[in-house]
Amino acid sequence: MGTAFLVAVWAGLCSIDDMATQMIRRPLLIATVVGLIMGDLQTSLLIGATLEVMWMGIGNVGAYSAPDMITGTAIGTALGISSGGVATAVALAVPTSLLAQQLLVLYKSGIIALNPIANRMAEEGDFDKLFRINYLPMLIVFLIRAVPTFLAVYLGAGVIDQVVAALPDVVMSGLNIAGKIIPAVGIGLLMQMMIKKGELWAFLICGFALAVYMNLSILAITLISLPLAILYDMAAQQKVTVPTVADTEEGGYDL
Amino acid sequence: MENNKIKKSDLNKVFLNMQFLNLTNNYESMQAIGFLTSFAPVLKRLYQEQPKEQRVEAMKRHLKFFNSHVNSDALILGVTAAVEESTGEDEKDAVVSMKTGLMGPLAGIGDSVLKFTWLPICGSIGAALALNGSIIGPILMFLLYNVVNVVSKYYGIHWGYHKGLEIVSGSGTNALQRLANIANVVGLMVIGGLIATSVKLKFVMEIGAGENIIVLQEMFDKIMPGLFSLLATFGVYRILKRTGGKHAALIILGIMVLSIALYGMSVLG
Repeated sequence: MGTAFLVAVWAGLCSIDDMATQMIRRPLLIATVVGLIMGDLQTSLLIGATLEVMWMGIGNVGAYSAPDMITGTAIGTALGISSGGVATAVALAVPTSLLAQQLLVLYKSGIIALNPIANRMAEEGDFDKLFRINYLPMLIVFLIRAVPTFLAVYLGAGVIDQVVAALPDVVMSGLNIAGKIIPAVGIGLLMQMMIKKGELWAFLICGFALAVYMNLSILAITLISLPLAILYDMAAQQKVTVPTVADTEEGGYDL
Repeated sequence: MENNKIKKSDLNKVFLNMQFLNLTNNYESMQAIGFLTSFAPVLKRLYQEQPKEQRVEAMKRHLKFFNSHVNSDALILGVTAAVEESTGEDEKDAVVSMKTGLMGPLAGIGDSVLKFTWLPICGSIGAALALNGSIIGPILMFLLYNVVNVVSKYYGIHWGYHKGLEIVSGSGTNALQRLANIANVVGLMVIGGLIATSVKLKFVMEIGAGENIIVLQEMFDKIMPGLFSLLATFGVYRILKRTGGKHAALIILGIMVLSIALYGMSVLG
């Protein structure tokens, strides 16, 4: 009960952060604190890292609301720690994030009601009062993640234990394997956003090669990529200025 | 800068208020309410002494539909402050059209630099350390990301205000575009590395009989280590691209089912 309550409060705070300051909002950061609350930091780091990469490319773009990583991570990590590990956490985090996503859509539709209120506040002509319109949404945002998290963690622990115990080994081992392939989804989503030109594939392959052949860490690859990125940008700048010459010489050469 | 009506402290208040900008993001006016509540300190400075109808008019002007990326909002808030200060009451249409003109392109830059590049880089570094059981992972991720997150908001407002229209019309957007180019390449190389470190498939299947057993994994490793990490990622990427990225959850479930099946058939282990 106590831990469920604390995890729920943490989910609620992350929820406010997600809609406001946006300093936490990622699985690895959320899971780590859940781990501290539940007293199993090591497992929470593994779960957090797996979910982090899995949901890497996921984010709200325009009016599209993405699966709710916050509720998904909080519930998945808490129940994952209490009943076994990473595979359970991933298997739980995905469906809960999809269910919780619906609550967010409801929230964003519901607070349309704030528009006429904001209008009325504007008509009063008082600049200092405007900020008060944030108080109610803050409370609602806290609750839409805290309440589901509390219910799932408080009621779910026993149920999940039994379900996990009843599952055959092939399912649990299979889910463990899936946990190592699923990061491809987050990465794929990112690639979709970032590969805008064909030549950019070369950089992706280069990063991969540095990792498999030279066993370099991500930080090392980041540092190596910097000069290449600057050179690429310089070349891209050239392209903008050169066409006047190239056009006359090469005619309809199409990049 | 001494002649400016808007004080540094006003912009700092905008910075504090804009921390809550997205709370009121809704499907009708998106970030409009958030923009107005963040911008209120500037309007207060410019309109405090004006008659009520002008104050109301000023507030309503900023309640029109608005949506961008939160970190780009900082820059737009700064530029808008400069434009509000330098335009007369009869030219205020320019304020709204400038905001509308900036929100789209800047949202794109905010998304591609922060959401799709810097955040994944921080996440990859953090996740790699955390997978080895190190608490430094999340701490480093938090610090790396938020230095850029908070600093870009703070300086976005101040820089936007001081450079004002200059940013809108010329050199400013070019600098941002170049930043986006560089971020794009760095991000892709990191993603390449991430494929190698976080996507893992291991074949346990063996082909042949008696003396001539070929362990598939050994054979693949000779061709290229991590070959199937790369192939699996490309496969998922292709499916995502074809479906417009909307079915990520379905693909995750598909991978779960497939993994269980392949483990059951002793292909993967």
